[in-house]
Amino acid sequence: MTEIDPKGFIPLKTQWFHILLSLAGGEQHGYGIMQEVLNRTTGKVRLWPATLYGSIKRLIEAELIEESDDRPAPELDDARRRYYRLTALGRGVLDAECERLQELVRTIRVKQGMVTE
Amino acid sequence: MNFALWIYRRLAQAFPHEFKLVYGPEVMQLGEDVVEEIAKRHGAGGLIRLIADIAMRVPLEYLSEMRGDMRYAWRALIKSPGFALVGIISMGLGIGLTTNVYSSKWAVLFRDLPAAANAKKLVMLQQSADGDLAAVSYYYIEQFREQKSLFTGVAAFETGVPFNVTFQGALNSKPQRVFGQLVSPDYFSVLGVQPQVGRVLSPELDKPGDAPVVVISERFWRNRLNSSPDAIGQTLRLNGQIATIVGIAPKDFNGALSINPSELFVPITVPAALAPELANDVLHQRSAKEFLAMMCLAPGITIDSAEAGLDSVTRRLDEEGSSSSARLDKGRHVTLLPAGTSIPIPRKVKPALTGFLVALMGLVITLACMNLANMLIARGANRRKELAIRLAVGASRFRLVRQMMSEGTLLSLLGGIAGFALAYGLGVLNSHFTPPMIVPQESDFYLDWHAGVFAFGLAIVCGVGFSLAPALQATRTDLTPALKEGSALQLPGYRRFGLRNLLMVAQVAASLMLLLLTGFLVMGISKQSNIQTKFDANAMVLFSLDPVRDGSTPEKAQALFEKLPGRLQTTGPVRSIALAAHPPFTSEVERTQLSAEDSPGSSQVLRPVLEETVGAGYFATLSEPVLAGREFAEPDQRRQADGSQTLPAILNESAARGFFGNGNALGKRVRDDKQSYEVVGLVRDLKDVLGFSQPIIYLPLTPRNFARPPAGGITILVRSDAGKDALSAIRNEIALIDPDLNILNMQTLDVYLDRSQSAMRFSVQTYGGMGVFGLVLAAIGLAGITAYSVAQRRKEIAIRTALGASRARVLGLVLREGAALVAAGTVLGFLGAIGLAKIVSALANMFVDALKVGTNDPRLLVGAPLLLAAVAMLACYVPARRSVQIDPLKALREE
Repeated sequence: MTEIDPKGFIPLKTQWFHILLSLAGGEQHGYGIMQEVLNRTTGKVRLWPATLYGSIKRLIEAELIEESDDRPAPELDDARRRYYRLTALGRGVLDAECERLQELVRTIRVKQGMVTE
Repeated sequence: MNFALWIYRRLAQAFPHEFKLVYGPEVMQLGEDVVEEIAKRHGAGGLIRLIADIAMRVPLEYLSEMRGDMRYAWRALIKSPGFALVGIISMGLGIGLTTNVYSSKWAVLFRDLPAAANAKKLVMLQQSADGDLAAVSYYYIEQFREQKSLFTGVAAFETGVPFNVTFQGALNSKPQRVFGQLVSPDYFSVLGVQPQVGRVLSPELDKPGDAPVVVISERFWRNRLNSSPDAIGQTLRLNGQIATIVGIAPKDFNGALSINPSELFVPITVPAALAPELANDVLHQRSAKEFLAMMCLAPGITIDSAEAGLDSVTRRLDEEGSSSSARLDKGRHVTLLPAGTSIPIPRKVKPALTGFLVALMGLVITLACMNLANMLIARGANRRKELAIRLAVGASRFRLVRQMMSEGTLLSLLGGIAGFALAYGLGVLNSHFTPPMIVPQESDFYLDWHAGVFAFGLAIVCGVGFSLAPALQATRTDLTPALKEGSALQLPGYRRFGLRNLLMVAQVAASLMLLLLTGFLVMGISKQSNIQTKFDANAMVLFSLDPVRDGSTPEKAQALFEKLPGRLQTTGPVRSIALAAHPPFTSEVERTQLSAEDSPGSSQVLRPVLEETVGAGYFATLSEPVLAGREFAEPDQRRQADGSQTLPAILNESAARGFFGNGNALGKRVRDDKQSYEVVGLVRDLKDVLGFSQPIIYLPLTPRNFARPPAGGITILVRSDAGKDALSAIRNEIALIDPDLNILNMQTLDVYLDRSQSAMRFSVQTYGGMGVFGLVLAAIGLAGITAYSVAQRRKEIAIRTALGASRARVLGLVLREGAALVAAGTVLGFLGAIGLAKIVSALANMFVDALKVGTNDPRLLVGAPLLLAAVAMLACYVPARRSVQIDPLKALREE
């Protein structure tokens, strides 16, 4: 099988980026992803339920994330929930996107520097 | 909040099955988990967002599933390219031909005049049931205008009026002959046409005695003035007189009766020197029936009430005008017909015309769709095992139906694209086949966008509709035997009246109907239009002159035509020369109403006859013998046609029979409302270029014709042994006589006939093509069905063969079923075609002749069903042969 180039997914859609980012720390279920994004952005970004699962479905189809078989300890586990984690490709895409954003920020900084000088 | 949650749950239920299966519970759970928090944090706005989010997501998910289906369908089609190709071709042909008929016939016939706001309310006077328009005198039109309760306006106009146009600053160049209309100044306001630039004519601004003005069409401005921005205010020389351009008509407006497009609109207030049509003070001559009346119905007035109102007005006017009181009949004087289209269609004819076109388009598209349906059913049956497996492992029936439906949709969408391409190609081809009429036709390529939408709409409806039934049938499978026996089981479709068989019968019937109907037309048209001249058509040169519009006076023109034959005799081995108002065999002659005069026993009824005006020695030049009496001679050409004296006339046989029965017509008299004629000769019926032979009265050319030649000029027929070589000799001789004379339409009779019939031939080819199309589709359908049936009965056939059935018996077994279907379809199609032809010809005169010839032709009546049956049986035979090749051992072991 041919390797898929992570660059092909760049730039990422906002929701995709947030989902990938919240899975970067480890596997997570849908509700967890939503809460994580909400907390991380201090309530500025909310992934609405239908959009969240629509995006998860497409991320799975694109092989950026996958369903995880590992369940947390039984007392923490909610049997109804599925857990998701990044694939290698997903991690690559996230890295590429972060790099792109950093590049962007650098450009802005330089530009601002020029303006203030 | 509870209400929001209720809606949320409902919407979550509406997700596609597949999505629900995987994410349904979680979406539901998550909604329940967060609804409280959202309400707290964002209030009602948040709840609305929550609902909006899911409401938007549901259709998106369906779309994405559909995309998946389509991708799968695409792969499936690519895997069976034969099936896909046949499907696409048959849908493409069906949709393409339908779109073509729609754009080239339907839209042209029924489309409102472009840019005319009052198009729906326009009516004109109709003379006969065939839809000929009645011309009236300007006096009548002035009286009609007074009927303010009936009409908001009544305009007078003459169409197909030639003008010799010389452009500013190009005085030395030869003038161009351009066709336009002479219109009363209220013409544009009656039609509801606004100028594109400048102004249109109006009664306030255009008065008799003013300096001549002209409104030009957009086409004239574009093609002849190179879209010059300062066209307004420019002057043109029309027939040698100066006229100022005051306005440009809106785009696509080519005048009323746009079937003959007009480029110039000249007010009738101009002097007669500019327009010879206005000579002899026609505007004030009560008997000069020179104008067409275009009337705009007043609000709330129907065409029937306007007709009744106008009838009493006309009756009074007719009675006042004493000259023709003897000819008054008791019946209706006035019939109106809607005139807001490019060609006015009498109200009686319209249903037949629409019916014919709908039947034609309907048959073609039905055939294509039924073919698609048949193929999809057969395919569904062959994929029974695949479907059974998918059902067994948990695919929903709905899912599979949707899958098959998307295959049908994809197929017909691709067919739609192919069809649109075909329609486009045919449209381009069509535009090259504009008939060579006197008034040059618009040859612009035209494809109605409605037709495009129509085609795609149709494609999708067909795809979904016709794959639904087979898809449902295919999934109504009992899984166990399907899995066990593969594709070789007894089917629900194998019933005497199964959907498949019904479709097959319908398809055979529809294609036979199409074949016969188009056959009737093709046979009728081609049989009729075959003109046999009694001499080599290459040995006759035709050309036309219009000296009056080239700046000559009527007297000079008369003198020119008198000396012309003598001068042309010197140009080579000329056998004979004759003049005529129109080329021979033309279909563009006027119709007139005549009655037999005071001859006891013969009818006094007004009879419509065609009026052809010909000069001395016309029939001798055409090698047509005069059956009785004489033909016109030189002195006849000098008589005045002012009603003061009886003019000689020649009748063809059917006209003579119409007026005088089987008695001798020579010496008898006929008359129209101005003039009395004595029959001096009798000739046989000659067919025109369209193949019609109608009652014709031949009248002599008179000084009146020379002073005011018809739109095509006066035609000169030169029979010369030099043939084509005579062309340049004649050209030189004319230049010697008068260098200012323009020679119009110079060609040999052969070329003229060929060009006149090209449009006819093209329609024969189109109709013929449609018939063949039906045949091909029926064959494809039958072959598919038989192949399918053989595949189904594989096991049965194997057992029979194993038990000793002969090959012939097995073949007969398979063919018998096909034969029964073909026979049933043939009988139904035959009856249907005859019925349809009867209905159409009962309603419209224009089809009568063509259909009469066709419906009486035994070759067609017997041949077409036989041909169809033969092709159908062949289509059955090819796959049926496969049945005898079945190896019983192999087939039985397969279980």
